[in-house]
Amino acid sequence: MSNDNMQFDLKIWKQEDGDSQGAFQEYHMEGVSEDMSFLEMLDLLNEKLIKNGDEPVEFDYDCREGICGACSLVVNGIAHGPKEETPVCELYMREFEDGQEIVIEPWRAAAFPVIKDLVVDRSAFDRIMAAGGYISTKTGSAPEANTIAVDKEDADKAFDYATCIGCGACVAACPNSSASLFTGAKISHLSLLPQGKHERKERAVRMVEQMEKEGFGDCSNHAECEAVCPVGISISAIARMRKEYMRAVTES
Amino acid sequence: MSLASNVPEGDLKEKWTKRLNDINLVAPNNKRLYNVIVVGTGLAGASAAASLAELGYNVQSFCIQDSARRAHSIAAQGGINAAKNYPNDGDTIWRLFYDTIKGGDYRSRESNVYRLAEISNEIIDQAVAQGVPFAREYGGLLANRSFGGAQVSRTFYARGQTGQQLLLGAYQAFMKEIDSGKIDYYPRHEMLDLVVHNGKARGIVTRDLVSGEIRRHTADAVLLCTGGYGNAYYLSTNAKNSNVTAAWRCHKRGAYFANPCYVQIHPTCIPQSGDYQSKLTLMSESLRNDGRVWVPKDKNDERHPNDIPEEERDYYLERKYPSFGNLVPRDVASRNAKYVTDEGRGVGETGKAVYLDFADAIERRGRDYIEEKYGNLFEMYHKITDENPYERPMRIFPAVHYTMGGLWVDYNLMSNIPGLFVLGEANFSDHGGNRLGASALMQGLADGYFVIPYTLGDYLGGEDLDQVEGNEEAFEEAENYAQEHIDKLLNVEGDKTVVEFHQELGKIMWDKVGISRDEEGLKEAIKEIQELRDEFWERVRVPGESANYNKYLEFAGRVADFLELGELMAKDALHREESAGCHFREEYQTEEGEALRNDEEFSYVAAFEYQGLNGEIQHELHKENLEFEFVELKQRSYK
Amino acid sequence: MPSLVDAARSQVGRKILSGITGILLGIFIIFHLIGNLTLFGSEQAFNIYSHTLESMGIFLYLFEIGLVLVFLVHAYIGVAIWLRKRKRRPVGYEKYSSMGDPSKQTFSSRSMIFTGIILLIFTVTHVATFKYGDTQMITVDGTQMKDLKALVINTFQNPWYVIYYIVVMILLGFHLRHGAWSAFTSLTMKGGTKTSAVVYTVGTIFAVLMAVGFLFIPLYIYATGGTGALIAS
Ligand SMILES: Cc1cc2nc3c(=O)[nH]c(=O)nc-3n(C[C@H](O)[C@H](O)[C@H](O)COP(=O)(O)OP(=O)(O)OC[C@H]3O[C@@H](n4cnc5c(N)ncnc54)[C@H](O)[C@@H]3O)c2cc1C
Ligand code: HEM
Ligand code: HEM
Ligand code: SF4
Ligand code: F3S
Ligand code: FES
Repeated sequence: MSNDNMQFDLKIWKQEDGDSQGAFQEYHMEGVSEDMSFLEMLDLLNEKLIKNGDEPVEFDYDCREGICGACSLVVNGIAHGPKEETPVCELYMREFEDGQEIVIEPWRAAAFPVIKDLVVDRSAFDRIMAAGGYISTKTGSAPEANTIAVDKEDADKAFDYATCIGCGACVAACPNSSASLFTGAKISHLSLLPQGKHERKERAVRMVEQMEKEGFGDCSNHAECEAVCPVGISISAIARMRKEYMRAVTES
Repeated sequence: MSLASNVPEGDLKEKWTKRLNDINLVAPNNKRLYNVIVVGTGLAGASAAASLAELGYNVQSFCIQDSARRAHSIAAQGGINAAKNYPNDGDTIWRLFYDTIKGGDYRSRESNVYRLAEISNEIIDQAVAQGVPFAREYGGLLANRSFGGAQVSRTFYARGQTGQQLLLGAYQAFMKEIDSGKIDYYPRHEMLDLVVHNGKARGIVTRDLVSGEIRRHTADAVLLCTGGYGNAYYLSTNAKNSNVTAAWRCHKRGAYFANPCYVQIHPTCIPQSGDYQSKLTLMSESLRNDGRVWVPKDKNDERHPNDIPEEERDYYLERKYPSFGNLVPRDVASRNAKYVTDEGRGVGETGKAVYLDFADAIERRGRDYIEEKYGNLFEMYHKITDENPYERPMRIFPAVHYTMGGLWVDYNLMSNIPGLFVLGEANFSDHGGNRLGASALMQGLADGYFVIPYTLGDYLGGEDLDQVEGNEEAFEEAENYAQEHIDKLLNVEGDKTVVEFHQELGKIMWDKVGISRDEEGLKEAIKEIQELRDEFWERVRVPGESANYNKYLEFAGRVADFLELGELMAKDALHREESAGCHFREEYQTEEGEALRNDEEFSYVAAFEYQGLNGEIQHELHKENLEFEFVELKQRSYK
Repeated sequence: MPSLVDAARSQVGRKILSGITGILLGIFIIFHLIGNLTLFGSEQAFNIYSHTLESMGIFLYLFEIGLVLVFLVHAYIGVAIWLRKRKRRPVGYEKYSSMGDPSKQTFSSRSMIFTGIILLIFTVTHVATFKYGDTQMITVDGTQMKDLKALVINTFQNPWYVIYYIVVMILLGFHLRHGAWSAFTSLTMKGGTKTSAVVYTVGTIFAVLMAVGFLFIPLYIYATGGTGALIAS
């Protein structure tokens, strides 16, 4: 039988909106099953709060199966919590000790302002993508799909980088709040494919510039980002980004 | 009244070309004079917005999530079909068309399905050009795999993340148009109403989910790409924010809702583990290739599965369907799982699961083979359930997955409200009574990339649209209505939460409008839903305020709509006195227990017109008769 | 495309420059250590070595100017990155921990600015002590030169100096531990879990060698009162 009555002391960041000061609030939770996901535990907390006439805790999520990248909680100091290659929506309460204190905070970065409680604004990521994170094709003008063969190895590597779910944990965990892993992942994905090679210089330069404009920090090679990335994007993405950028500025 | 589907005359294979030859065009430099609203950024919405912006239209795009990239399409796993015939196994456009029509149990429109098959190949070309990293062979060419309901390998895939990669491709094209200034982008905005002015769709009302502000947006046409309504069941494989609100509010403004009762229930999902469960996770159907489905022969057998001897196990699919065995289609597998658990022979703590056992396959082919083939699925299962599927059988159970029904559209994807187009899972168009695997992605992208750019031009080029400013009465009225609805929700101040109501609705829907239905149950369901709806408006407690980020307020609005839609689904299921595809009425089955269609009486699309809510939903049924000129109707059998 | 100047100011450019200057400093350190180890060579080896350097005249000046520039550029970038990083996360975490492997976040990586600034201060005081310190002139094989060896040995009779040096050399080790890995990663533009582990280990060994090498000098001199077996006189 699984344990259905775990207890936790939660310490959660509450903030009315972007302009207000926030503070931690403490909640005692009982009746938590070890088979609950972390987010279901928070759902349960909210059900209790609402019934009591209190304000629920706001947090972001959608798919709850690790693919949309919406969930974004720092759990006990680690973005997405303690289980490796696991976003917080796939984290289960059995990973915690009964009776433990759990501190829950939003992603912290100037480029990700808090909207409410644990919800942050990650639109900076969209703007980095808009600055070149694409291959220009006109609908309807694409050549037959098999006209250009792609080495399986390149295709597989490109895929590994392409699996980034855009969650922002890399930024949240990076001591410098750098978005290099996210940006590098897209630059790497596209530069590995023959279709993406034509725009590679401009893409690298514009995306790097945009990343800076959005207020993300420098990369100091801490590699914390790789460790928390729920899909295990390697920091080789950052290396490739640097290479693409240097190539763009040195080759004319 | 019969509905005009606006399908071109002539041979099936000529219809789409013919339409393309005949449509009105908008001159290139005039396109910038038109404003188009696209609601939703899934495969359908993102591809449509990107293509239209590229053509020069001014696009306004809306989605609920904080980024277009998170639309629910991101979660699709298995793949996308196309009739490329790369494996040289005899695939053709006709065959893809035929499989889709047959898979839909002859309840879809021939002309639409044929066009879908025709366009399928172009989608793959487009995606590859965008950099979608599909799986490849060692020679560098694209790889294919096979999927249910087809005898050819025509499914393109990107590991188990095909939807993600296709959506990111479309999202990137979309981002490019944002950069070029052709798309105004409104993430974290929810559409709350459609504005119909002078009989045409001319705008929408939205709520800014961060500030709570209600806003009006004007346009010359509105494209609804808002996905399916599987969350009416509370638990489903859909994302938490998937909803019917946009479609339902359009319905209330006059758009017909077609075939609401056609809901696909996927047999291989990870079962519910407790009442707190918030969603269900799909496990690829491919598992049934090697896993054997069974339950104990005796009720309430609480032994560890490995301790139950062979002769006390019931491999019920193999027993009942000796030739297809564990590989019967989705609906048959789901229904039988329900039967055995209803008998009390379900397994696991909740009794709502059956075993999917790989012990034989592991013994026969080795653990490495299984790991190579299903490693990531096994890992996912292990992560969620904390049980090791290499050592004990998986527990699986069916879950609501996809909704074939949706707003009614004609061949041009326009609803019965001029200027309101509906794309992707939100429309009813191509899958009839049942959707084949890997064809929803195909349809969403076909609609967005290759149909709407032409048919929208046809509409705009052929209409004389007056200028709207956003201060017309229709806008005023819609905005007020949206605000009142929100205030009403906040003012009930009852004692039950939104989630409790949603769970209760989900239970009614699952038990009585689910895998199999009967007259008595449906009648009960209708009554219970009506009562629950009344209770909702008396007892719901929505916390917080409207002028701030408020997730539970969003949910409250959506649940209110599901509480109305649910009734319509039940009514549709009740009126359709036949079994077809996923709609299985206990009263209408063959001797072998298969779905028994009644082509004489029910070979039509049921399109409901909303006529008010007065304790119960008032509606008028319009029928679009389905003519099968090119295929012959047959009875399915999987014995 | 941005000009090279703009590129050098970009996030990527900064890292490349920081890496290049860091490596140059690292190379200087290697040679400096080798030179310093001549203290343990023949009686006058160290003095001859220093004198040879000094007699390079203009070249030494050029070298020194270069070295100062490298120091300044490296320090400037380091400080700039650190200042920027503070602005990038105005509200910190209540609780923050590292996920552990494959993270390379350590005391080393987090204290680069601290160890760096100490190194800068140290270098100024260090140059004042040894380059501009009081020395006797001696004659070796007919050439007049400074008796730097005596200065070094005398200096390290003072236990405070020795402690100061030992502490700084340990900090140097920490700086180099993350620095070596980081510079390699930035400059080769290579990464990946397997190569990273190798590079990191090699970098750590290098850092330890440097720290121990430098640390050995004051420690040995102090411990043996300047008359140890290794010191020829
Ligand atoms: C787990 C899973 C696996 C699947 N696997 C496959 C597969 O392998 N192959 C396949 O072909 N199909 C698969 N499907 C089905 C397929 O993914 C969907 O049918 C398809 O992606 C729907 O795309 P869409 O563009 O119509 O809508 P969605 O992707 O659902 O997008 C809906 C959009 O509308 C927006 N929206 C909704 N309501 C509002 C509102 N009121 N206001 C503003 N915006 C709104 C949302 O924000 C979102 O952007 C799968 C589905 C699931 C659940
Ligand atoms: C002998 C002296 C020094 C050596 C050998 C040295 C070496 C290095 C090396 C190799 C790096 C890695 C380069 C990179 O990847 O960016 C580095 C980084 C760094 N150095 Fe130094 N350094 C020295 C002095 C200094 C000084 C004087 C300072 C500052 C005042 C300093 C501050 C930094 C900082 C902050 C970084 C980290 C840069 C980042 O976060 O990306 N260093 N150093
Ligand atoms: C125990 C360790 C060390 C000893 C014994 C030592 C000794 C010396 C001596 C004797 C000189 C004077 C050389 C001359 O005037 O020609 C000198 C110069 C110098 N040392 Fe060191 N040093 C040590 C460590 C370091 C370290 C760790 C650094 C760097 C951070 C460093 C940086 C310098 C610099 C920059 C000069 C000036 C070089 C020049 O102007 O040419 N030293 N050192
Ligand atoms: S790189 Fe990893 S951590 Fe960063 S956004 Fe992508 S998935 Fe999230
Ligand atoms: S943690 Fe930060 S410093 Fe670089 S390697 Fe990752 S972005
Ligand atoms: S909720 Fe989608 S990844 Fe966590």
